[in-house]
Amino acid sequence: MGLVIDQLNVRFDEHHVIHDLQLELASEEIVAILGPSGCGKTTLLRTIAGLQTQETGIIQLNGVRIEQQSCELRGIGMLFQRPVLFPFKDVLGNILFAYKRKRDWNMDEVNAIMNEMGLEGKEHQTIETLSGGEAQRVVLIRALLTNPNLMLLDEPLSALDVDLRRKIAHEIRSILKSRGIPAIHVTHDPAEAEIIGDRVVHWNELQPGDDDEE
Amino acid sequence: MRSAVGHSVPVAVYLGLILIPVVLALDRLVFVTGSNPIEAIFRLDEHPLALEAVQFTFIQATLSALLTLAIGLPIAWWLGRYEWKHIGLIRAALTLPFVTPTVVAAMGFLALINQGGILASIGIDLRNETGFIGSLSASLGIENMGHIIALLLAHAWFNLALVIRFVEPKIATLPPRYEDAFRMLPVGTSPLERLRRFWWPMLRTSILSAFVFTFIFSFTSFALVRWLAPEYWTIESLMAIEGGAAGIPGYREDVSLLVLGGATLQGIVLLMALGMAGKWQQKQSYEIELVSEHYARKTIGKPNLLQKIGMFSACTFALAPLFLMTLASVRIRDRTSDSYRWSTEAWRYAFDGNLTYASVPEALMNSLFYAIGCLLVACILGFFVAQTIHSLEERNKPKLAQTIDVLSMLPLALSGVMVGLGVLLGILKVWPALFSWYALPILPHSMLTTPFVVRILLPAMREIDSDYEEAGKILGYNQYQRFFRIKIPLLKPHLVVAAALSMAFSLGEFGASWILLRSGAWDTLPVLVDQLMSRPKYFQLIEPIAMATATVLMCMTFLLFVIAERFRSHQGGGF
Repeated sequence: MGLVIDQLNVRFDEHHVIHDLQLELASEEIVAILGPSGCGKTTLLRTIAGLQTQETGIIQLNGVRIEQQSCELRGIGMLFQRPVLFPFKDVLGNILFAYKRKRDWNMDEVNAIMNEMGLEGKEHQTIETLSGGEAQRVVLIRALLTNPNLMLLDEPLSALDVDLRRKIAHEIRSILKSRGIPAIHVTHDPAEAEIIGDRVVHWNELQPGDDDEE
Repeated sequence: MRSAVGHSVPVAVYLGLILIPVVLALDRLVFVTGSNPIEAIFRLDEHPLALEAVQFTFIQATLSALLTLAIGLPIAWWLGRYEWKHIGLIRAALTLPFVTPTVVAAMGFLALINQGGILASIGIDLRNETGFIGSLSASLGIENMGHIIALLLAHAWFNLALVIRFVEPKIATLPPRYEDAFRMLPVGTSPLERLRRFWWPMLRTSILSAFVFTFIFSFTSFALVRWLAPEYWTIESLMAIEGGAAGIPGYREDVSLLVLGGATLQGIVLLMALGMAGKWQQKQSYEIELVSEHYARKTIGKPNLLQKIGMFSACTFALAPLFLMTLASVRIRDRTSDSYRWSTEAWRYAFDGNLTYASVPEALMNSLFYAIGCLLVACILGFFVAQTIHSLEERNKPKLAQTIDVLSMLPLALSGVMVGLGVLLGILKVWPALFSWYALPILPHSMLTTPFVVRILLPAMREIDSDYEEAGKILGYNQYQRFFRIKIPLLKPHLVVAAALSMAFSLGEFGASWILLRSGAWDTLPVLVDQLMSRPKYFQLIEPIAMATATVLMCMTFLLFVIAERFRSHQGGGF
């Protein structure tokens, strides 16, 4: 079970961004992928999420091939580099976006996770008043409440200062582990990779025979 | 929403809506006159008043545009440069004339220039042309000089907001370091050189665009010409007055030629003007990183006394006609003693409707019905046309997107009278049953309003970050859920502005309604005002009743304007 990616290829016109990429993730495992800017890390996550069309390859999540599924059906959570919060809703309104229907709202679950992430009392704050770290926490809560089969973390801490980055990296690891959610975290910061990942892999290890890709 | 059908249906409906009446009308007029539209321009002289109207239209539109710039540029400069207290209020006051229905503007200026009005009392008698104005008229040999001055002033008043909207944001948001850097250069030490070599290149496209749009609105002016300079004809007013007799084989061929040639000439001029404005705006495609207007203003500081007096005068100029119009509704002239008394009698008459087919409440209900109908049609169609253009741009089909974009702008090259005549001659003569359809005016109102909705929504759609769409996908929302829960809330402020402006435009629309409203029971507020003013003035309350009716229309429009202003962004200029 977990995630299996085999022979994944992604191309932008003439540019072959991902070349026969292979990656396996055990269930509940967190892998940190380390690589320089522009190497294709974000493209990999967007392809797994279904936001980017792949050329060839297999993506299998918990034993099910998902590469032909549309993004919204894959059951994957993702944190982008810049936290994407809807400006027309307050903090709670953004978190409740995790539920598709009002009747699905589970306020006990919401309150518990907000307390766990240190956001209690900020439910009705507007999103402009949040700090960078708080905004990413709101996005993380929203993603966790969708009960994802896999979490993709696309350098979500890159805009934060070093101390806060370390602190939130520990929080992310702890919450993912406590819920048993497998995750791929991409970063160019080795220290952050060490904190979040059970295992750290370098980008060029994922594309055998393509050592000169970078 | 992204399917081919989803894209083509609204675009086809919209293009059908704007093209079918015009094409059918052209077909009929070509059949009746035996001339194609270009030939008809050269046969305009067959109508006794046409050439005079063409000449007057060009002269008054050019002079109006120049006068508007002369008044508007200093105001835009002061407003954009200095730190004003209550700048929101100043801006709203200066913008008010532009959203005022033309009939209200005409009534406001009549109140200003009428016998017993403020201008006459200080010796500027533009109405009866006695004293200084009479001497000026005689010495220049121009008949009814006072009326022409009133018309030009009214056009400048009406279009002042255009100059401010186009020019002020550019001045207010330009980073001060650009001018600072220029001042350090040898050529930048003289204020005149800075104006010529720095500010003119920076503001040129905005100023020229403001000129062109003012020219266009003055060129197609109808209500103001009809009531302020009734001895003169513009192409628009002549077509409106005479157009009812057009399109009938064997009858008044000169009128059919006038409508065909006049509309073609007007369409060509408007298209050329819009094309020029578009080109200038495209030329200025270089990107300057703009700053917050508060930051730029802070570096210049507060205005001096002279500038404060100038701004106060500008606001007085913008508000005076409207204030005086309201006042004129309760100031009744006694015909026997030539004195005035204060009374609300005219308001009672207006609400009882004793002198007209419809009372003010009835006309208001008609106006609101047409405005809501226009809002629904224009906003829904405009939304989907903008969505189609944006979606084609995103899918890397720029040529198709641009073609639909240009087609969506076509009604901007049509005036209210042209659209009214298009519907009258095109559709009604093919399908006469529409004559008795109460909702008919919604059609021309929507034709004229939809391009504005597209122009408001398209830039807003382009600004929406694709991250929101992707975040919605990641959260598992399908395209309909993303549309209703993410896209619509993100566009809400722009939708409110588009809705408020559509309603305001429809409420004040005069040209097309004036041509198409054939039953007194359908009268809208602007048509009611015109009806009252057209009556012989033997009864002293006639004009105050018209002023009261116009005041009701003004209040409704301003309510919508306030709603739109609350949601509108001031950055960027233009509409």
